[in-house]
Amino acid sequence: MAQSNIYIGLTAEDLRVRLHILTTFLIVFGLTALYSISDNPLSIESSFMRQFIFMIFSFIIYLFVRRVSLKAIHDNSTMIFLFTIGLCLVPFFLPKVEYTYRWIDLNFMTIQPSEYLKIGLIIVIAKYLSDNQIKIKTKSIIIIPGLLTFFAAIIVLQQPDLGTAAIVCAPLIPMLLWAGVNAFILFLIIAPIITIIAASNSVIFSVWAVIMFLCFLVARPGVVPGSILYFSNIFAGLLTPFAWNILTEYQKQRVLTFLNPDLDPMGSAYHIIQSVTAIGSGGFFGKGFEQGSQTQLKFLPVQESDFILSVIAEEFGFLGIMIVMAVFFLFIKTLLDIAFKCSDYFSSIVIIGLASIFLSHLFVNSAMTVGLIPVKGLPLPFVSAGGSFLLSCFIMLALITNLSENS
Amino acid sequence: MLKIDNKADIYTYRVLFLFLCSLMVALIGRYYYLQVIEYDRHFSKSQINRVKAVTTYASRGLIFDRNGELLVDNYPTYVLTVIPYKLDDKEKSFKELSSILDTEFDELNRRYKKYYRGRMLPTIIAKNLSFQQISEIEERKLEFPAFEYRPFNERIYPSSFSHSHILGYLKEVDRETVPSLDKSLLYRAGELIGWQGVEKQYERELRYSKGVSYLEVDTYGREVFELEDGKVVALPGENLYLSIDSGLQQFTKDLLEGQKGSVIMSHVNTGEILAMVSSPSYNLDIYRGTTSEEDWDNILKNPDKPLLNRSVSGLYPPGSPFKLITTFNLLENNLIANSDSVMCSGLKEYGGIERGCWREDGHGFIDLTKAISESCNIYFYEKVQLVSLKDWISTAEIFGFNQITDIDLPTEKIGIIPDKDFFTRQYGRWGWSERGVLLNLTLGQGDLLVTPIQSLRFINHIATRGKNTPRLRLNLNSQLSYYESIQYSDRTWDYIENALFAAVNSDFGTARRAMPANQVIPFFAKTGTAQNPHGEPHAWFIGFFEFEGEKYSIVTIIENGGGGATVASPIAGDIVSYFINSNTYIANK
Repeated sequence: MAQSNIYIGLTAEDLRVRLHILTTFLIVFGLTALYSISDNPLSIESSFMRQFIFMIFSFIIYLFVRRVSLKAIHDNSTMIFLFTIGLCLVPFFLPKVEYTYRWIDLNFMTIQPSEYLKIGLIIVIAKYLSDNQIKIKTKSIIIIPGLLTFFAAIIVLQQPDLGTAAIVCAPLIPMLLWAGVNAFILFLIIAPIITIIAASNSVIFSVWAVIMFLCFLVARPGVVPGSILYFSNIFAGLLTPFAWNILTEYQKQRVLTFLNPDLDPMGSAYHIIQSVTAIGSGGFFGKGFEQGSQTQLKFLPVQESDFILSVIAEEFGFLGIMIVMAVFFLFIKTLLDIAFKCSDYFSSIVIIGLASIFLSHLFVNSAMTVGLIPVKGLPLPFVSAGGSFLLSCFIMLALITNLSENS
Repeated sequence: MLKIDNKADIYTYRVLFLFLCSLMVALIGRYYYLQVIEYDRHFSKSQINRVKAVTTYASRGLIFDRNGELLVDNYPTYVLTVIPYKLDDKEKSFKELSSILDTEFDELNRRYKKYYRGRMLPTIIAKNLSFQQISEIEERKLEFPAFEYRPFNERIYPSSFSHSHILGYLKEVDRETVPSLDKSLLYRAGELIGWQGVEKQYERELRYSKGVSYLEVDTYGREVFELEDGKVVALPGENLYLSIDSGLQQFTKDLLEGQKGSVIMSHVNTGEILAMVSSPSYNLDIYRGTTSEEDWDNILKNPDKPLLNRSVSGLYPPGSPFKLITTFNLLENNLIANSDSVMCSGLKEYGGIERGCWREDGHGFIDLTKAISESCNIYFYEKVQLVSLKDWISTAEIFGFNQITDIDLPTEKIGIIPDKDFFTRQYGRWGWSERGVLLNLTLGQGDLLVTPIQSLRFINHIATRGKNTPRLRLNLNSQLSYYESIQYSDRTWDYIENALFAAVNSDFGTARRAMPANQVIPFFAKTGTAQNPHGEPHAWFIGFFEFEGEKYSIVTIIENGGGGATVASPIAGDIVSYFINSNTYIANK
């Protein structure tokens, strides 16, 4: 406690107030962009108006979740997890929505249960780590969280939803690291993933092999286990091209068009090209509110949700983007501070998990709009249109506030 | 407060903070690169010219009959579209247009809402523009900057008659239906889709493939010029050749004028349908969008249901032809000897209820052949006692009842062959008995319901003696395939053939009125008079004949028409006679 006060001058209450102010900013950015692209913003069918109504609805749920105590969450963590898993299985028994099992159609809105699975997973992992705090330095501590994450990711992959499956995995490493798990063990988990990604390019792969070698030298795991781990990584990288063939055609297509955008001018690369042009043509100051020719001419598909940043970038320019990014940066930094100031182990880990969710959504969404990674249908927290995700963001916000308040 | 304190150390905090910073730097750096460094390139790309993909269309496939006579053609019309964002004063423009187009103002508004796709996309608001209307709009082009007219193909039916139920019709796709349609065919609101008949069945073949033209457009969406690169040419849909013979179809339709019912005739050796009429019919032109609400109401509320394709969706009790199902059971399981006969006195009591034969003074001593050809009820009441319900049902199912015939038309019904579960559901565990229901079933009465096309399949199985019965089809170019073969002994088939032959050729045969005058052809048939709760009995005729070495089958049902012998048989006879005498028929060679 004393330690945290040295580094972060604000009180926990100040941080919570700051978090809510930042959230308000994000919502205002989102609504502004939606107002700009709606043909008739005040009609009930426009994405602006729908988002506005969803926001009020989500806020009511937020107030409701705020009443749930830390102890209730902590004690019922397994039930919460099983409930969210169950929710994820529901679409498999319903007719397909848009050819997938991702959504539950409630008529007035569609719910994407995997949004809530992420929260349930974080809570159950945090509970496990806090229950087994004394064993935190042992290697076996990572097995249960790893299996739970794997299990959740497999369900989401069956829907099929590659983007959300990746997000489901994202909080694991930060949470373990925060909980105090040996950093070298975590390195061993991440290493194969980087190996597989690096395997696409022999130069990057060679550089990575050297970095990996240095890491092993520093950590000194012993000659025999060290060399086994090292070389199995190298082999995994060499086998990657064969594993490639297991991917479904549309996943391959998405990755391929990312690597070579000229392949499919009307497919996913089309989205990237249009998005990049929209962003680039915004310049430093932007074209002005409702003046973006790319967005107003609807060259961009799903611009109200996945490509909302392109709209902001075109109409409000680099300046606008800097403001949005600064707010997001402060938002996640505040979450980190709250987690750090948190007096309670369990709460602190949950907050780090939720912060990872926000950060991974932010990164994947914005990296996609600027063409750094392939097109993944992931929305931007509090900014993108979409009732289900907005609701889950509000629930996460309510959880963070509760946990930091109660502890 | 929970028990365990937060163990986070400042080292981990810094690692995560650094990670956050590095991601932020990467993103901001990329935005800086795109928006500041590469700004000029992207800005000019967006400002001066843009490539825009524009959809191009081709015509839908045509439909011909087996002789190459054109049944369905495309008719070029003009439609008027409006681009919403160019529309400054919608009220005023629509008011003026409504006088030019002779359309209600509200109607224009309704269409505008129905087909609206987006601010920049053309919305269809009027169709079938006359040349005069186009020239008036062209003259006043400056007053209507948001409006454009473009060619649009509609269906017309050049032959003097319509094969309404078989052909089906097209429907405009609207915004609500688009998500439920086949994604690969790329439907957009305002386009046409086959909604009934072969237009629906062969939608995939008949529909054109859309093309893409890449147009350079400026920032206001104005087209500058067309690029050759990446252009995809729109291709017209495939033409469809039906196995229908228009002459025979028309003759049959005229014959059924004023009656309700269905006639189907097929070429047994190939499964091709030569004529398929459902009466009453309707004029396909009603679907061209010019029908008034009132006329529509009349069609929809007409108690004779002209929109129903009775041939595949009409459900009827099958009547006496189902005596053959019992016969197959008796013969195949050796339950009777050829010489067995039954005394028919016109009345007989079963379980305390008197049941009669249609011939009130009785048939006297009667054997199986006569019982079929003269359609004696008492014989079958008596002999069905030897058959179990389970066997009886499985025989009916072997002949394709209780399943679709798989003819290439949508909305085919399967009907009902009631089994034990059905009866228990319907009447309760103790409300029915196997013997009791079989008395009804053997006459093709009771809870049985079949479609005319199922009856056609039934007679085709008999005509081919169970082996290699071709699947029924309307598409002349589709692959010949077969229903599952029925393995019965030659004795059974011979017996059935004899009996059906006698029904047409003997003096008291119920189907004797079907034999065409002045012609002697091998003709085999069974009639039926199916009692039903809706009034007069339905008249059935099912049969097949041989002509020039080929076999043809015919099914006739006249709803509430009366007796199969007196009503259905002469109609079948007239059609067969027309078929034999007409020189329009060219066999598929």
